[in-house]
Amino acid sequence: MSEELRRVMCVEDDADIRMILEFSLGTVGGYEVRCCAGGRAALQQAPLFRPDLVLLDVMMPDLSGPQTLVALRELPSMQGVPVVFMTAKAMPDELEQLLEHGATGLIVKPFDPMTLPQDIRPYWEHGRGRRPG
Amino acid sequence: MPLDILVVDDIQESRRSLCALVSELGHHATGANSGRAALDRIRQRLPDLVLVDLLMPELDGFELTRLLRELTGERWLPVIATSSLQGDEHVIQALRSGADDYLSRPVNPALLQAKLRHYGSVLALQARHASLAQRQRDILDNILDPVLTLDATGRLEELNRAALSLARLNGQPVTIGTPCVDIFGIELPALLARRECRVRRGGGAEYAAELGLSEWQEMGVVHYTVVLRDLTERRQVERMKDEFLATVSHELRTPLTSVMGALGLLAGGAAGTLPAAALPLAEVARRNGERLGRLIDDILDLTKLEGDRMALHLRPQSVAPLLRECIAANQSYAQRAGVALSLEQPAEVAQAEVALDADRFLQVMANLLSNAINHSPQGETVRVAARIDAAGLRVTVVDRGPGIPPQFRAHMFEKFSQADGTDQRAQGGTGLGLYITRMLVERMGGRISVDEVNGTGSAFSVHFRRAAATVSPLPSLLHVDSDYQARARVARWLADAFSVEGVATLAQAESAAALQAPAMVIGNPQAQGSSEAFCDGLKRLASGKPVLLYGDSIDQAFCTRVALPWLSPSRSGADELLAAVRRALTAARREGTEA
Repeated sequence: MSEELRRVMCVEDDADIRMILEFSLGTVGGYEVRCCAGGRAALQQAPLFRPDLVLLDVMMPDLSGPQTLVALRELPSMQGVPVVFMTAKAMPDELEQLLEHGATGLIVKPFDPMTLPQDIRPYWEHGRGRRPG
Repeated sequence: MPLDILVVDDIQESRRSLCALVSELGHHATGANSGRAALDRIRQRLPDLVLVDLLMPELDGFELTRLLRELTGERWLPVIATSSLQGDEHVIQALRSGADDYLSRPVNPALLQAKLRHYGSVLALQARHASLAQRQRDILDNILDPVLTLDATGRLEELNRAALSLARLNGQPVTIGTPCVDIFGIELPALLARRECRVRRGGGAEYAAELGLSEWQEMGVVHYTVVLRDLTERRQVERMKDEFLATVSHELRTPLTSVMGALGLLAGGAAGTLPAAALPLAEVARRNGERLGRLIDDILDLTKLEGDRMALHLRPQSVAPLLRECIAANQSYAQRAGVALSLEQPAEVAQAEVALDADRFLQVMANLLSNAINHSPQGETVRVAARIDAAGLRVTVVDRGPGIPPQFRAHMFEKFSQADGTDQRAQGGTGLGLYITRMLVERMGGRISVDEVNGTGSAFSVHFRRAAATVSPLPSLLHVDSDYQARARVARWLADAFSVEGVATLAQAESAAALQAPAMVIGNPQAQGSSEAFCDGLKRLASGKPVLLYGDSIDQAFCTRVALPWLSPSRSGADELLAAVRRALTAARREGTEA
């Protein structure tokens, strides 16, 4: 597992937001970015891409964000990889429920694409701290 | 009013003379020449009154009177016996047979007239009474909601037509005499305390109903009338509204995320440097996009608040850290506006606890602070001052802005009200902020007020009562379970008898226990790391109070090893849990008194 935050996987069903994410994290942030349009694609890509952090939309048509998270956590290569949900402002109850699903954090939409590359960093550091070894 | 009178006499002459007399007195007379003929006539059409001769062959007047009483049942038909017999014994026998009155033959016209007038007015009263009763019945039967009247023991006494659509919970039809518990599943005293109940439709499913219950008395006897209003449709509409709001929120934010993202990237130069002339245009677009986002937030909040569907989590909070947090959260916004923020909170504020929903309190403060920042000239300071007095906590946000025009003051906490459009920065508001702020403050049991400060600037204050030393009269239970739904279920099951604080982890449990020491701790070791360590943590939290393990990841052998009682959620329900909790508390109390 990398000691640096390099590869970020984004799971988002809206194509325009995927483009913004690629621009923000790739062009502005300099990360290696892979965008998936849904949970199934993410499950397929995750073992190949081996992301250091995953950004996950909550409301998606085929597999929801929380469902995707549960399935991702079952992949051996995804143990301990921080997963951050992206969602519109949530009620405290919903938010608590998302974090209980084992998410590392939450990015509120609309997000600022110029600061997003830095905004996700604390979650990666937090996740790294928890990783065994 | 003329009466329809049947004259029963086997002797033609006396029958005719009595008929003639009745007609002369202004009533309508019909004759019958025997008891049988009288019964036939009465079966066809009921007269208002019967004059019957006692001495007749076959069916005499006594027997006819008895038969008439059976025939007319509840409806009262006055019967006056007539006879030329001497002596009181016949009168007494006639009255015993059911006659209402007696006239001796030959009938005295003045006496007959007086008696007919008397019976005429009694019959008019009876008719009036019957029509009133029918009217009530018709009104009740035309009410579309079931209306049931129960006696003091809870038995069904009366029901309207709509109530016939109900069934007992076991599916049997509802009838007069059905006990309350068969219809509502609870006894009358419990029903009296309810605003809502579940009932069953005949041949159908159970449904939730709003309960309108009123107690009334009739001649010292208590009755309860219950009106049920089906909530199925209202619930469905509420659910659809919530789902609609969630969808709208998502559908509006998704394009806004792209718009704001693309603008941010353009303005930030991620796609190359923009010409200088384009920058203010990008700024206009960005500012208005942000405003649109705030409008969406505010309208969603408003809909939830007005529909009373915003769930608040009121619990005693220490205010000092919340105030520091809201200053920190609004610092960068203040800096961009060239305004400084200051916080004054005396030492006693740090010790004070107020029952608040932390997130909503932060939202209130954010609204007040952004208002104050928007209306302050550059270089000024917005002061936040907290104070504890006899009434409770008072937090004041003071700005050095232009103040509030008097004509705006009266309606400033109402919907879509803004002072005017002259202040450029204030134009970013939605006109909903102060309204939502007021609603949130009031929902948390506080109030909001505004004062002018020496003609320069304004001061908004929110007031909250201090949390009482005894927070809840119910014993408090701490429930540690990583599963959100399990926590919600346990809280619901125990809500009537205990105040349940549900938390996901031991760490959260520690801070909750620090606020209020629990009377008992319930914990599920599943997904909490080492089960032994978790149980040690539970015991530490309980500090001598009872602990109950409530989870399926453990077995009896484990529970014996850690010496804690255990209940398996998959093999028990609400009643078993309540019983286990009560058992543990009683045992602890007993040990306490013995020791």
